[in-house]
Amino acid sequence: MEGLLKTLREKVEQAEVYHLKTSTVPVAFHSGKLESIKNKAIEGMALRVIDGNRLGFATTTDMKDPSELIAAAIASAAFGEETVFSFPMAADPTHPEVHDRAVTDLSEEEMIAVGERVITKLHDAEPEADVNLTIAKAVETVEIRNTAGCEVEEERTRFSLWVEAGKTREGDIFLLFAGDDTRFQEDLSADTLVDRLIRYLRYGEKIVPAPSKRLPVVFTPYGAITLLLPLIVGFNGKSVHMGISPLKDRIGEKVFDPRFSLTDDGTLSRGPRSSGFDDEGTPTKRTPLVSDGVINGFLYDLRTAALVEATPTGNGYKGGLLGSGGFRTPPSVGVGNVLVSVGDKDENEIIDGIEEGLLVESVLGLGQGNINTGEFSNNVAVAFKIERGKIVGRVKNTMIAGNTYALLKDHLIALSNAAGWAHGTLHTPAIAVDQVNVVGQG
Amino acid sequence: MEQNIKQAIAKSGADYTEIRLERALRSQVLFQKDKLENLESSSEVGGIVRVLKDGGWGIAVFNNISQLSDKVSEATRAASLVAAHSDAPVELAEVPPVQETVRADLKNDFRSIPLQEKKELAETYNRIILSHDKRIVSSQVRYTDSFREVRFANSEGTFLTQEIPDVTLLLVAVASDGGANIQQGFESIGEASGFDLVLGREEEARSIAQRAIDLLSAKPVDGGQYTTILDPYLAGVFIHEAFGHFCEADFLFKNERLSKIMTLGTRFGGEMLNVVDDGYMPGLRGNIPYDDEGVARAKTHLITKGVLTSLLHSRETAKKMGVAPTGNARAISYEHEPIVRMTNTYIENGDHTFDEMLSEIDHGIYAIKAYGGQTVFEQFTFSAAYAYEIRNGEVGEMLKDVVLTGNLFETLRSIDMIGNDQQVHGGSGGCGKGGQFPLPVTDGSPHIRIQNVTIGGK
Repeated sequence: MEGLLKTLREKVEQAEVYHLKTSTVPVAFHSGKLESIKNKAIEGMALRVIDGNRLGFATTTDMKDPSELIAAAIASAAFGEETVFSFPMAADPTHPEVHDRAVTDLSEEEMIAVGERVITKLHDAEPEADVNLTIAKAVETVEIRNTAGCEVEEERTRFSLWVEAGKTREGDIFLLFAGDDTRFQEDLSADTLVDRLIRYLRYGEKIVPAPSKRLPVVFTPYGAITLLLPLIVGFNGKSVHMGISPLKDRIGEKVFDPRFSLTDDGTLSRGPRSSGFDDEGTPTKRTPLVSDGVINGFLYDLRTAALVEATPTGNGYKGGLLGSGGFRTPPSVGVGNVLVSVGDKDENEIIDGIEEGLLVESVLGLGQGNINTGEFSNNVAVAFKIERGKIVGRVKNTMIAGNTYALLKDHLIALSNAAGWAHGTLHTPAIAVDQVNVVGQG
Repeated sequence: MEQNIKQAIAKSGADYTEIRLERALRSQVLFQKDKLENLESSSEVGGIVRVLKDGGWGIAVFNNISQLSDKVSEATRAASLVAAHSDAPVELAEVPPVQETVRADLKNDFRSIPLQEKKELAETYNRIILSHDKRIVSSQVRYTDSFREVRFANSEGTFLTQEIPDVTLLLVAVASDGGANIQQGFESIGEASGFDLVLGREEEARSIAQRAIDLLSAKPVDGGQYTTILDPYLAGVFIHEAFGHFCEADFLFKNERLSKIMTLGTRFGGEMLNVVDDGYMPGLRGNIPYDDEGVARAKTHLITKGVLTSLLHSRETAKKMGVAPTGNARAISYEHEPIVRMTNTYIENGDHTFDEMLSEIDHGIYAIKAYGGQTVFEQFTFSAAYAYEIRNGEVGEMLKDVVLTGNLFETLRSIDMIGNDQQVHGGSGGCGKGGQFPLPVTDGSPHIRIQNVTIGGK
């Protein structure tokens, strides 16, 4: 790496090398049977250069001879974007716990045993359920060096379990997903996950019709992404800079219900998205986005921060909005751990108080529709009917539609008192909102 | 390299061994609003070894292709462990070994076009979009190309080299009325062809910008049930997303109840409904002479005269179901094992004209293009890019926020007219399944008319 930087210093004004090494072992079960074990060793390098104030980018998997990589990045910089930012100087990364020895030491046999236990437990409770699952461990090493002196490296672990349970009947297929993604093995509770699946499979035994009217909807932590995805887009500094975020120029303004707070925190110990630094070497941060309903800030990577003259928040991630990683894409604004404030009622208590409504665990077509304006319009994938405070059955072929900004401002019923992790990035309570437009098919 | 591959396979202690090595060259230009977000050319080399030992799968993925023999051993060890824990041994349907080299036939090879020219082309389209109207507040123009050379060899004597080109262009215009009303227009194209595909798209850039403007004053649709005409693009998305995925045998073959629903001979639609998956359509994104198990392409008739006549198979699912593989085992790259996927999937022409479809509708919807679609088994949701109201047999006012939802089986039964104007379309994205996205595919259809479609509105 030192040799590469030396070469780069001679050729360009600024350069940044991102080096990723990952080792992932997914163990897959299909229909209750162990299907495959995969060992995946990926290593790649991304190079950004700034020369003549223009930005260039290239990637390679050739670790031995970087000459092609250098040439490609320089060629791209010749016609690249005029930049207003510089690669950062050395800064102390934060130090969240991101590495678990238990994950690196975990054997394939132990992973198989976890999978077999989950399947046995599910089959004991629901013999007819068809179960697919993947259990995986991953170790990733990220090293970032730039010509301004930044020199950071971190080894992170990840342990994940994804379970899909389905029940099929004539003319009806009921499919449920549950998954969790943690940095530490002990933070993932397979039992909690299986209990939730069993509970929902039971709720779903009976199919009931959904009405067509405005109703209260309780989004479970997993289902809450329906409401939160438009916010992840809206608080992205790039949406703000481009003028497509409805939150632009509204810092200090009360835009949400005072019970609603939202924080992006890349520094949370053991958080699934935590790290000491983002994919540009900027130390991660805790950034309050909404405090008691009031807009507090936005998320920035180096480039977007420079464009709007803000301070980078350590949110320059590879792999898009939810930062799915890899070495291939250039960094852009993405989220760390997204934390939603909790309320004081238990999820069951909230449901108890609803005369007629829906409990939504997942939807189809996430992100479809006019997400920039906060609108969602989705068919429910897994949702249940609430009548007089009780779950009475599952609804099918039912659309829910609304506007996140309006619902979280004027129609928030309650936030539950316990937050759960969902989608590898959200830590959110169940969110109950009124006046969601529900369209049922009879 | 051919020698190394053959030696590693010869030394393998597994019952079946395959090696797939890939060398890819990619370039991308991405404009967002007035900013050049990315301009890159990259290269990548990697491989995957997949083995069967005592009926268990072991897989190794790697970038360092000098370690082939070690990776075969690693995969074999994993396969033995799987076999020891499973009482469902995997077997593969027999296919003839093949040795062939398939070269890409490109008109105007994008590898010889300088990056600067690609950037300038994207910039031109971006400028047309942004300068179209003051109310255009944002844009996206993305050009991508990739050229993959994939070598596949297995222990049955197959040795293939295939060149797979791919070129795409995405144009997006975002319009705003200055308040909360923000609308989009887009065009998305992709082919397994050369640079010519993306040239001369100025008119499309103008028309998507105008569409975004028009949508600002479009009427939001009232939720409810309507007789709906889908344009060829949206109907193609529907047949791919809602029906095609159901035909992928890998999620059916271990589940008796699902297999029962998808029993060959079951009637799904009217006599006029014919659905095909065809791996041989040169120049289209789903064109694959051989799939990623070395199985030759097929033209698979999924629905013939309304009746289910075939599913899509890999060697594993074909063996389980006692049929011939259809050449549908595909992987997006060396990082993934092949799974059952579609290629070019379409509804065949019927005999109705668009006007005939319109004429009997008192109050309906004409839904055009799609932002995207998602299905979980029989439930689907699609967002139309835009739509028009149909009143008294005529296309009327433009509508926005049209989201279609429903049950696949009911919807297929409710198709009552199929047009004679088929188009097959490759977009700039691709298909996602099992963590593998985007896989180049195309889908197509003539206009189709469906009774009682649930439309979600605000």
